[in-house]
Amino acid sequence: MLSIPFGLYIHIPFCKKKCAYCDFVSYANKETLIDSYVEALVNEIKASPLLFPSPSKMERSGTSESSDGVRSIYFGGGTPTLLTPPHFEKILNVLITDYGSRVTDYEISVEANPGTADKAKLKALRQLGINRLSIGMQSFNDKHLKTHGRIHDGRTAIRFYEDARAAGFDNINLDLIFALPGQTLEEWKSDLQTAIDLKPEHISAYNLIIEEGTPLWHLTHPNLQITDYGLRVTDHGLRITSEDEEAAMYEHTIATLTAESYKQYEISNFSRPGYECHHNINYWKMGNWLGIGAAAHSHVDGKIWANPNCIEEYIMDAGRRQPDKTGTPADEKREAIFMGLRLLDGLPEEKFTGFENELNGLIAEGLLERSGGNIRLTRKGLMLGNLVFEKFI
Amino acid sequence: MDIGKIRNFSIIAHIDHGKSTLADRLLEFTGTIEKRQMREQVLDTMDLERERGITIKAQAIRMEYQGYELNLIDTPGHVDFSYEVSRSLAACEGALLLIDASQGIEAQTLANAYLAINHNLVIIPVINKIDLPNAEPDKVLVELKNVFGIEKDEVILASAKEGVGVAEILDAVIKRVPPPKGSSDAPLQALIFDSHYDIYRGVIAYIRVVNGIMKPGTQIQMMGTGAIYEAIEIGTLKLGLQPKDELAAGEVGYLISGVKNVRESRVGDTITYSKNPAKEALPGYQPIKPMVFCGFYPVNPGDFEHMKDALLKLQLNDAALTYEPETSAALGFGFRCGFLGLLHLEIIQERLEREYGLDLVATAPSVIYRITKTDKTEILIDNPSSFPNPAEIAMIEEPFLKLTVFTPAEYVGKIMELSIDKRGEFKGMEYLDPTRVMLTFDIPLSEVISEFHDQLKSCSRGYASMDYEFIGYKPSDLVKMDILLNQEPVDALALIVHREKAYYKGKLLAEKLKDVLPRHQFEVPIQASIGNKVIARETKPAMRKNVLAKCYGGDITRKRKLLEKQKEGKKRMKRIGSVDVPQEAFMAVLKLGT
Repeated sequence: MLSIPFGLYIHIPFCKKKCAYCDFVSYANKETLIDSYVEALVNEIKASPLLFPSPSKMERSGTSESSDGVRSIYFGGGTPTLLTPPHFEKILNVLITDYGSRVTDYEISVEANPGTADKAKLKALRQLGINRLSIGMQSFNDKHLKTHGRIHDGRTAIRFYEDARAAGFDNINLDLIFALPGQTLEEWKSDLQTAIDLKPEHISAYNLIIEEGTPLWHLTHPNLQITDYGLRVTDHGLRITSEDEEAAMYEHTIATLTAESYKQYEISNFSRPGYECHHNINYWKMGNWLGIGAAAHSHVDGKIWANPNCIEEYIMDAGRRQPDKTGTPADEKREAIFMGLRLLDGLPEEKFTGFENELNGLIAEGLLERSGGNIRLTRKGLMLGNLVFEKFI
Repeated sequence: MDIGKIRNFSIIAHIDHGKSTLADRLLEFTGTIEKRQMREQVLDTMDLERERGITIKAQAIRMEYQGYELNLIDTPGHVDFSYEVSRSLAACEGALLLIDASQGIEAQTLANAYLAINHNLVIIPVINKIDLPNAEPDKVLVELKNVFGIEKDEVILASAKEGVGVAEILDAVIKRVPPPKGSSDAPLQALIFDSHYDIYRGVIAYIRVVNGIMKPGTQIQMMGTGAIYEAIEIGTLKLGLQPKDELAAGEVGYLISGVKNVRESRVGDTITYSKNPAKEALPGYQPIKPMVFCGFYPVNPGDFEHMKDALLKLQLNDAALTYEPETSAALGFGFRCGFLGLLHLEIIQERLEREYGLDLVATAPSVIYRITKTDKTEILIDNPSSFPNPAEIAMIEEPFLKLTVFTPAEYVGKIMELSIDKRGEFKGMEYLDPTRVMLTFDIPLSEVISEFHDQLKSCSRGYASMDYEFIGYKPSDLVKMDILLNQEPVDALALIVHREKAYYKGKLLAEKLKDVLPRHQFEVPIQASIGNKVIARETKPAMRKNVLAKCYGGDITRKRKLLEKQKEGKKRMKRIGSVDVPQEAFMAVLKLGT
């Protein structure tokens, strides 16, 4: 029985309110659908040949080989913490109780938003076996939180973190965004320090990307050019950060977190040793991942496919589709390089066969370097990563 | 048809005064084309023309009305094409002078009217668009009296859109326009007033037979070039070619003679029989001279042959377009092209990009300079980058124009400022009527071809109009300004400027280039210099951050697309030395205004 190792991603596309910069697949005001959605998730899990290759055999022998492939579980969104502990229980049970599994030995992450769970709820989630929490802080500055449509303020955010600790979570990530329109370097420094002072195990610090179609996009210069990476000041009252300011914020982030013993293991991800996010590392190493839920993407055995974005459509179809049979082939080689270089340790040089010219050119330009059998971004390459990635796509 | 019953006439007007709409109405009214064949503004066959609402090619059409044969010859309305207008007028005996009731006499109204008068045409004044709420026909009547001495009772009030006045216009054409003079017995003289290349038939010449009778199957001669051809087919025009057995004196029609290139069938030339030629050609023939030049370079060097082919094809139907291969250290292989004016240039550029799918870079438009060197030799230069060493230059002369501007009186101040800023010399001012003024200036052509027209429109809220004619060369204190990117001079960005404006223009240009140049992995100094002296400098900072912050499993496809787009954007740039220069940089030079 084949049991390829894979990461299991479960998408929860519900939100109380959409944030101004969000371009994820998520919907506000659809919470009434949560119950049927969770049913659908359970059905999809049960029907997945990857998770349960031959259920009848399973029932006979009662063994757990079926779910042996799972190496990490990640509940992303939207706002997964809009679900109740019984919802989570229902989903996890399919994997843990019904068919037996050692799944709880692995990393089970849930994305959480301050304001959507109290201490009791967090405790219940912890007791279900969820062992990692990824909290969407973004900023601790109330002015910025407001511009960006977040439903909480700085103090709520900090209290939420404290509740999470009290609930027993000992593997916590804080998501932060810098280069918010109107944000100064000083304001970012302050946000970062507040995060560090909370002493989480992991920090993700992302440079804001203003995505087409989001409210922030509409508030900014309509001719924002993608070819010229610098963002420009607009006449809409929202000052966009310049390329130089972003560079300064990013450099400060790396320097400060490194000095505080967080290791930068990926372009935007920093952690205490041993607390890297396994689920995400699987992506950058181009492993296999199975996506459950609306809009979820899968990449298994060289093929890719995705579920429909629309919640209602997903609910109707779940359990009846066979998407992994119709998946399209991935462009493995190029994507392995493009993703692998995001990890600061890089990837083995063998992965670059066929791209020797590009590789040598980039090494000559000082953007890539050799290190113990691997090729990785230099510090300059880290800052100008797109120039490197472009050569391989 | 008895020659006494023929009327050859044209419609002359300023742009947008309703010429094409009126032509449509005349065709409809006379039943020349049926309603169902009606496409708005029928005579403009090119898509580009229709889009821009301007006529580029002149066409002709025969109508029949009350026993008379009325030949309507359409003319281009833009100042760039005045030669073509004059040849069309030479084929007529009368002209409808069309004026927009809400705008009054404008620059081309006057220019075309004078052309018509110079050809001894009978002028039938028509005030159009009387249906508009802001129409002021009485005011226009005053202008017509003041400027041309035209009396009120000669004027027809019309609305081409509503169909008002059409019958009166046709009656006036019949009554007031004289029949053509000429004898069918005399030796053949036929004027080519337009020609058009058709991929199936070759060149179709539009002709007005002045004397003699043209028959197919005979041997004809182009008197200007001496070349002999066979008249394969002749006929008349009515929304299509209608072959006939003969075209007699006074008639208008077409000739197909197997000519492959419009240059061999030149507008203004006279056709006669090789066996019994006329003693003299009809007057007025002039070889066309381009006035404005620029370089066209394919962004992709591999497209050079394709561009060559495209220019060849465009030239088939455009006798005024000239081109010659040239090279630029910065841009590689391209062509130096000559045009009648800026509009002509823009039209050709757009056709190359749109009809032939060429991604191209156009350098700033230039004029021909006459340089007298220190060794007393004279050279003509049409490309700033081929200017000789300043040490060898004794004098530089540039082409000058007599510029006429029509404007409401309240904008005179701003227009004076604009023209003087462009090195124009004020020559005179005349009142057309109490509220409208005609200004004349002597001004260098080089100042007019870059954006002058747009600026004139902006400072007069669109009400001013202009016309110009070439008056000769005058010396000016000009210098060549070089642009250096990353210490390398970019020949394609070189400019000829007046010495007093050099610093100002250099600074402006450096700033614009800093804006459009993308960041590179190193700092790029941008300099403007005259000879060895750097007169302006800007620096484009180096790229500091350019990396996708986020990419997880589900994002891969999307982020790849983003990077591919960035990559594509780079491909459309021209690499000059170590610097990638976008098309916009060349446009920045072109649009160096104010």
